[in-house]
Amino acid sequence: MAQPFPYTYYSCDCYDSKVTSIPANRSSQQPQPDQDEDERNFDPRNPRSNFSLYPIEQLLYCEDCQQIRCPRCVSEETQNWYCPSCLFEVPSSVIKSDGHRCSRNCYNCPVCMSAMTVSSLENPAEPSPTGGPYILACPYCHWSTVETGIEFEKHTGITAQLSRVANGGKHLPTQKERERERDRRKELENRRSRDLLSGSEDSPGLNRDDDGPLTHEDLYSNLMAFYKAQLAAQSSSSMYSPHDLSFASPSSYSRLLLSYSTSSKKQKRDKPSQMREAASPLEGLVLHDPTTDTAAIDRIRREGWSSTLSPAQKLSQTNHPTIRFTDELRPMASILCTKRGKRCRSCRQYLSKPESKITSTRYKIKLLALNHIPRLSLRALSSVSTPTARPSSISSMPSSQNPEFDYNNLRPGIPTHFLLHLSNPLFDKIRVTLATPSVTPGRIQSRVTILCPQFEVGANTDVWDDALTGPGGGVSAASGGAGAGGGKYGGGASEGHQIEAGKIWDRGRNWTTVVLEVVPGFAKPLAGADKEEVGELDEDEDVLEIPIFVRLEFEADVGVEERGLGDSRGSRGGGGGAGGAGGGAGSGETREKREEAFWTVVGAGRIADV
Amino acid sequence: MSRPTARKPAPKGEYIETDSGNKVSRRSAITGTANITLGGRTVIMADVHLRGDLHPTRSVPSSSGKEVTPTSISIGRCTVVSTGSVIKPPSRISRGQVHYYPMKIGDNVFIGPNSTISAISISSHVHVGANTVIHPFAIIKENVKILPNSVVPAQMVIPSGSVVGGRPAKVIGEVGEGWGVSGGGAGGGLGVGGGGEKSWVEGGDLRELVRSIK
Repeated sequence: MAQPFPYTYYSCDCYDSKVTSIPANRSSQQPQPDQDEDERNFDPRNPRSNFSLYPIEQLLYCEDCQQIRCPRCVSEETQNWYCPSCLFEVPSSVIKSDGHRCSRNCYNCPVCMSAMTVSSLENPAEPSPTGGPYILACPYCHWSTVETGIEFEKHTGITAQLSRVANGGKHLPTQKERERERDRRKELENRRSRDLLSGSEDSPGLNRDDDGPLTHEDLYSNLMAFYKAQLAAQSSSSMYSPHDLSFASPSSYSRLLLSYSTSSKKQKRDKPSQMREAASPLEGLVLHDPTTDTAAIDRIRREGWSSTLSPAQKLSQTNHPTIRFTDELRPMASILCTKRGKRCRSCRQYLSKPESKITSTRYKIKLLALNHIPRLSLRALSSVSTPTARPSSISSMPSSQNPEFDYNNLRPGIPTHFLLHLSNPLFDKIRVTLATPSVTPGRIQSRVTILCPQFEVGANTDVWDDALTGPGGGVSAASGGAGAGGGKYGGGASEGHQIEAGKIWDRGRNWTTVVLEVVPGFAKPLAGADKEEVGELDEDEDVLEIPIFVRLEFEADVGVEERGLGDSRGSRGGGGGAGGAGGGAGSGETREKREEAFWTVVGAGRIADV
Repeated sequence: MSRPTARKPAPKGEYIETDSGNKVSRRSAITGTANITLGGRTVIMADVHLRGDLHPTRSVPSSSGKEVTPTSISIGRCTVVSTGSVIKPPSRISRGQVHYYPMKIGDNVFIGPNSTISAISISSHVHVGANTVIHPFAIIKENVKILPNSVVPAQMVIPSGSVVGGRPAKVIGEVGEGWGVSGGGAGGGLGVGGGGEKSWVEGGDLRELVRSIK
């Protein structure tokens, strides 16, 4: 999902830490990760980075491992299933038997995939007792089952009714009827073959005279029945229970043991009889029929491409993989959703667990990265106009008087100042060290300087604490609303917020702002420069993304959060986050020095063409 | 030019603030005000059209025998309806007559600019992007993000915690666990939302945003 500029993505190093934890027998292939640790830069354009960057809302935090957990390094477990359309919970036993589709009246349009509604076709002149024939209709694209000739008698139990009717209004046989039909046909065939042997008939193909070629469902059920019969015959011949076919079952073990035993007599007996494949349509054999192909080609020639299906439409018709034309579409029962709990993959601790009730949106457990790592945000410090600290200038609001900084149009070669804002969710003071490569990776090389890479961010406190401390700096701005905030910043800038190396721009209760100077690079090499790098830019190569390495140091209470667990685990907090320096496991009063480090990528904007 | 005084902007500012803190733009078009309830601290921006006149016409049997004014639009607290949006209760034709149904919008809902909303219900903490069309009788549950330029088909039910987008809108993802959480001690002068300039978070508490709108 593309986010508007400026955005911040956080990198989860789960892939890297897994790589480094692999024993070093393949170290020849890896360029010495330990030595390169300091030199290694995070490249947001690396294809692999795509999979490790997340907005902070998506990240969880494992308190035991003291690490960020991204969707790739949590394991999910399904708590319950529900239909997204009718919001009914479906018990897992039903899922096992009936599959993952809603068995109520929830259907999706096969053309545009939006939810369909049951509508009545009742003729007002002559009302029917049931409210007339019903159809499934799509409110978006106006496709309806009328187009495939399906109408329903009742407005409830659509699934049952739909399973009985084929496209065109013909009766669709049920499983039992199929079996009976198969038996009948087999009987017929047997008689025919007997007749053939006796010499009276000569055409075996005549058994198709009653109705058309077998449908896909018929063939499938035939094949299924044939395989079941084969397996039953097989297992009964080897005297084992017919249901016990899994490899781990005791009978399989005994079979294995028997096959290793030396007795030749037993070996002979246990030699499996050859299973044969399906040999006739009644056994599920599909013979390629060139006439269907030519018929399809003729039809396309006659009706044009508009009568055929798009790949997406075809693929969504899961139980009909052979269909080609729009009149073969069936409404699709909507696919169920799940509620899932998430566990840390390394310590199996629950990181998030929603309440099991479908209607509830609350969580029993929710350990967010938002509450454990500082939030970085960037905004432009427009140098031309007055420092616009309008915290809520929505681009859509016409009332914002200041000319908006155009993030989609960064001018190359001109130093632009950004404010990097760090807010601390922890209840401890943190010392932050920021680092960034001086030149951004990628084709367009922009120079980036963090004017004050080392600073402190105050501890998070209750919001009420600030309100009570009175007009002490940014605190009042925070709670006093935007007007006050804007005024304060407007005034503050003239008071002497300076863009100066080694000095922070501003600070508040639990946040600090520093200035970032960026000189966007040139998309095309300047005249006179070497002309090797000509060529079109790839998509999004003109986006200025700044990798920033964030390292925190803080002292936290050992006892409260950890309860003695953290020491052993904290020490393996990889990716630079080596905890467990303090050590006192038993004493709750000890302060423990902790580190945390991660890469972030800040998308500052798009560089304009010169 | 003959009457320059008439062209001056209203001296009291853009918004009329009610006792419960609702901010209604002077440039908004609201019809049938008696049938609209605003929960408090709700913002109706300029050029928003609230069709309160399209109220349910079926007579509600009231116990006191008094005529009860039917509600057509009820909006919760701290909800922001951005510029140029149209809120129109859904209607259905039954036995040759058009019937309107009351619509309900929850708390902390953000409706982006130039959207057309006809949903029967929008729950709390929903973020609707710009230029979105929500067709009649759609039901949107809690914590949903609707991407800009989407068209939500009629009668669609969007389960809570989903991200929808497209034409027609489909569920294309889930909002993360951190949806609407403004992070420990958001506050601070600069925006902390989404890494951007905003001091509020999509799907989160919109009180700050409401406060900042003047």
